[in-house]
Amino acid sequence: MVCPYSFDVPGGVQNHVLGLARYLRQSGHRPYVLAPGELGPSAAALDLEDFASAGASMPVPYNGSVARVNFGPLSAARVRRWLRSGKFDLVHIHEPITPSISLLALWAAEQPVVATFHTATPRSRSMQLASGVLRAAIEKIDAGIAVSESARNVVVQHLGRDAVVIPNGIRFHDFAGWSPMRDESPPPQQPRLIFIGRLDEPRKGLDVLLAALPLIKQARPDLQVIVAGQGSRPLPPGCRNLGTVTEQAKIALLGSADVLVAPQLARESFGLVLLEAMASGVPIVASDLPPFVDLLGDRQDDRRLGEVFTVGDHRALALAVVRVLDQPDPMRAARAQHAARNYDWSQVGTTVLAIYRAALSAAPARRASRGAG
Amino acid sequence: MSILEIAAILIIIVTILVWRITWLAGRLHRATRRTEHTWSALDTALVGRARHAAELVKMPGIDPATALLVLDAAAVALEPDLCQVDRERAESDLSHVLDMIDPMLPISPNGLGPERGRASLCRRLHNDAVATALFLRRRSTVRILRLAGRTAEPRPFEMEDGSICALTVIMREAEN
Repeated sequence: MVCPYSFDVPGGVQNHVLGLARYLRQSGHRPYVLAPGELGPSAAALDLEDFASAGASMPVPYNGSVARVNFGPLSAARVRRWLRSGKFDLVHIHEPITPSISLLALWAAEQPVVATFHTATPRSRSMQLASGVLRAAIEKIDAGIAVSESARNVVVQHLGRDAVVIPNGIRFHDFAGWSPMRDESPPPQQPRLIFIGRLDEPRKGLDVLLAALPLIKQARPDLQVIVAGQGSRPLPPGCRNLGTVTEQAKIALLGSADVLVAPQLARESFGLVLLEAMASGVPIVASDLPPFVDLLGDRQDDRRLGEVFTVGDHRALALAVVRVLDQPDPMRAARAQHAARNYDWSQVGTTVLAIYRAALSAAPARRASRGAG
Repeated sequence: MSILEIAAILIIIVTILVWRITWLAGRLHRATRRTEHTWSALDTALVGRARHAAELVKMPGIDPATALLVLDAAAVALEPDLCQVDRERAESDLSHVLDMIDPMLPISPNGLGPERGRASLCRRLHNDAVATALFLRRRSTVRILRLAGRTAEPRPFEMEDGSICALTVIMREAEN
């Protein structure tokens, strides 16, 4: 497996790669992972001998966030050497069209290639400029996977390829099994609102939430607000910032929350935070981005697994939060939790394996199975 | 400009042209080869589906009228030497029949779920590979220089998969 982002920092793609690697090993396969940087504490699940580093990565602005990636002839040589080490029957490349080791791996791969597209919005201008180069690389993909319908639309429209939609996986029981221990501080009657996501990135929509806070506080003056995520920014009084949290701390935070707000403005392709909240049984208030609405199921409001509001509308957000806090709906939370069970790696991973098998049968016959890179 | 310089420039241009054409031919070759492999994978998956359907109706609890219906659809789909249009129609018919009898069948391991899912997945991969090959074949360089040679133009396999989408089926396979 090739992951373009470093495991030094937590992130959606990294978590996906780690979760899938763990599932593959449990089901008797041997995944090897290539990624920039070193193994951080969040990647403890990964065996050191199965991990190869593509070298130090550099922070570059890409697709509206700062991505730590690497490129250049040295990285290209490393990637090629890794691929030629002869251990792999199949290469699974994540985010294959970012300027990173993923694209380099796609160029150099001689094995059958499965590629997973995680983002919903590539930059069309740079894509057009580089279309000749990209086109040739994209042709090498034997089987494409997209994490959501929105991500698939990009693949079909901009890249002219097809992709099977396989959602992100989670370790369902980690989230569902966490028993809330909220008898200490704060007292249970003090409702707790949480936001998880980068604080310094406008598209994550924290500004919308902050604009809505005064309105919410009018109805619920005792509201406790906790934000968790990378980056720093001034917060109004009454908000606690936990900074970057570990997976364990995130699970605990979700377990203690009364409502999760996902005010993201754009460029979300899946909404892993939403899924994790669903698995934890936390009520959700989310903006109506297509992938969020898809995750929350039914288009009809009354059957939906969480509240949604118009993107960027802080008044609607405030109303939805107050509604959720005033009229808790345990049945809905239970339905959401039940729905999240389908996204456990035991389910999602089997589908990925089916794609692997299909890609292997579609690609030229090679030697007997040894492992997936 | 001396003759030597012009010659040098010409050589460089020709080298670049030859390199680009070789590169394109390589891509075309790879894409064409992939369509052959995806086709044989799809063929195997479709045959597996039809055979399994025919096996399934021998199970106790299936009435003879239903059995006859399924056997007939499977037999037509399994007929050798069908042209592609006929085969597409036969496989679509089989999908419809399987949709109708699906509620009567036990869920995996003896149900048809995995076979249908696999066929549908293989078909998507095949049509995706065909689209890539066709895109390359229609480039003007490929057409003018006849880089595709005499290989037959690949065609997508158009059939109806039936009501069960690949993902849910494979998910269901996982549950059992």
